[in-house]
Amino acid sequence: MAHYSHAKVLPADLSAPPMVKAWQARALVVAILFAVTAVVLAFVGGASGWDHLWRGYLVGLTLTWGFSCGGLLMLMLQYVTGGKWGLLLRRPFEAMSRTLWLIILYWLGLGLMLSRLYMWANPGLVKEGVDKGLINTTQFNAIEHCLQWKHPMLNVGTYWVVGAICFAIWFFYTSRLNAMSLQRDKDTLAATPYWIKKFENLSGFGIVVYSLTMTALSIYWVMSTDVTWYSAVYGLLFLVGQAYQVLAFAIIVALALSKVEPFKTILRGVEQYDLGKFTFAFVMLNMYIAFGQFLIIWSGNLPEEINWYMDRINGHWGIICTIDFFLHWLIPFSLLLSRDLKSNKTRLTRVCQIMIVAKAFDLFWLVEPSYKDAARNLHFSWGILEYIAVPVAMTALWVACFCWELQRRPVVQVNDPHLAEILEPEHAVA
Amino acid sequence: MAIPVEGTYGMLAEFETPSDLVRAAQAAYKNGWRRMDCYTPYPVEEAAEAIGFHKNRVPLITLIGGLMGLVAMFSLETWISVLAYPVNIAGRPLYSWPAFVVPAYEWTILWAGLSACFGTLALCGLPTLYHPLFNVPNFRSGATDDKFFLCLEATDPKFEIVSAREFLEEQGPVSVVEVEY
Repeated sequence: MAHYSHAKVLPADLSAPPMVKAWQARALVVAILFAVTAVVLAFVGGASGWDHLWRGYLVGLTLTWGFSCGGLLMLMLQYVTGGKWGLLLRRPFEAMSRTLWLIILYWLGLGLMLSRLYMWANPGLVKEGVDKGLINTTQFNAIEHCLQWKHPMLNVGTYWVVGAICFAIWFFYTSRLNAMSLQRDKDTLAATPYWIKKFENLSGFGIVVYSLTMTALSIYWVMSTDVTWYSAVYGLLFLVGQAYQVLAFAIIVALALSKVEPFKTILRGVEQYDLGKFTFAFVMLNMYIAFGQFLIIWSGNLPEEINWYMDRINGHWGIICTIDFFLHWLIPFSLLLSRDLKSNKTRLTRVCQIMIVAKAFDLFWLVEPSYKDAARNLHFSWGILEYIAVPVAMTALWVACFCWELQRRPVVQVNDPHLAEILEPEHAVA
Repeated sequence: MAIPVEGTYGMLAEFETPSDLVRAAQAAYKNGWRRMDCYTPYPVEEAAEAIGFHKNRVPLITLIGGLMGLVAMFSLETWISVLAYPVNIAGRPLYSWPAFVVPAYEWTILWAGLSACFGTLALCGLPTLYHPLFNVPNFRSGATDDKFFLCLEATDPKFEIVSAREFLEEQGPVSVVEVEY
């Protein structure tokens, strides 16, 4: 009776289960509800309400951009590093990357709001701040100096050109990787080494190009909300943040899919546990970089740099900052230490949900204090609720879009040597 | 000269693959065996689960070690900066906690790592200079290489030489050997 195979058999139907369609419908309903709420809040809040709507839109754009292009990033990272976890998540990553068109639409939408969001797009904002007594003379001089000095980069023309170049590059990588993946599945197993190399070569360079281009847009969209401040690690912080949120989202999707075929067959405890560990690493790296930036600026204590943190700590912002620290690092870190938790689907999903909320919360903390009415002055207004309404609406619409993209392909890539391994019992390999 | 025999340690079955070992271990547990152990060249989590080995205290020891490192270094830094050598550095408060974080973090990692390492050794009862299984030639030649073993130990109330051997032989092993002290 000794050695027969214990390998499982891959289900015949690899298409996305019907529940993905249900998710899509639910996400659309949420998107509409929250979009309506956002508009109502803007009317209730008056001028400040509309201003906050645009700021919420910026957070929503940055968050969904993180999901979409972060998916592209993780896809490339997976092709370069290999590993069985990637086989599970490749199709979800691909679906995330294919939502790029929605991000482009969002980005075009942001173009309409530039004059209410960025001092470099509308010097009238500086005057407005001075008139309201929100900007003092020292700050005014610093802002004027920076606006002049950074003008070659921070102006509306360059903003559009840089954005268009970045999106064109990401579109190229997204379409290439997605098209090649289908070609690979149609090819024979014998050709796999060729495809592995091909994906590796495209992705390796792609990661470098992506890191540079995403740094540019993170500066344009988020960092330049405060024209006086700069940080060399900003792009990296967003890069790691994207991996953080994408991994959390991908785990939620994979675990939810694993209730039914085909993920029920291919999601093993080993890979789930590995994904948990991988997420733990990004939780750590994210905090490492964020604290590193803080420590360097705190040690330097230079007037050009430290104000950015003062705006975000003083005037009750310290509460938000502390909650951010808990949500972003302490809670996921402590929970993901546990081995049992990483093997428990429900609990792992909960942690990943906390991480996504933390990401949105962090963006609120990054964006809102850049505006002079809120800097060092955390206060309630109807408008501030836009930071919930708009990002939720935009993310829900993005999720609907993701679900639609996920249904367009089989959810498992078949032409891969790891497939045989993933069908084996867990103890079969070292 | 005959070596005096002190008694039987257990009955050892050798398997070719981890799958066979895991199934045999599951069958043994189901059959009522409790005092048994699996020996594999690399960690096989399912084998540990199969013999009812769920928890160990290494995570707890690591956590305690890590927290001790954290507290020790943070206290040391605080004591140095606030009490022992209260030096004004760039006008900052004496208790400047952001500066203490990095060494405290490093000590957390260091102590957690050392606790995990030595805690594991201690809980495994290592270093052990002698073990009855070393008497078995195929164990010596394969346990750290490519063979998988299940040992039913004589301390199990169910243990009886003939029935233990019969039971193991039903599990499709490569060989079954009686292990002496």
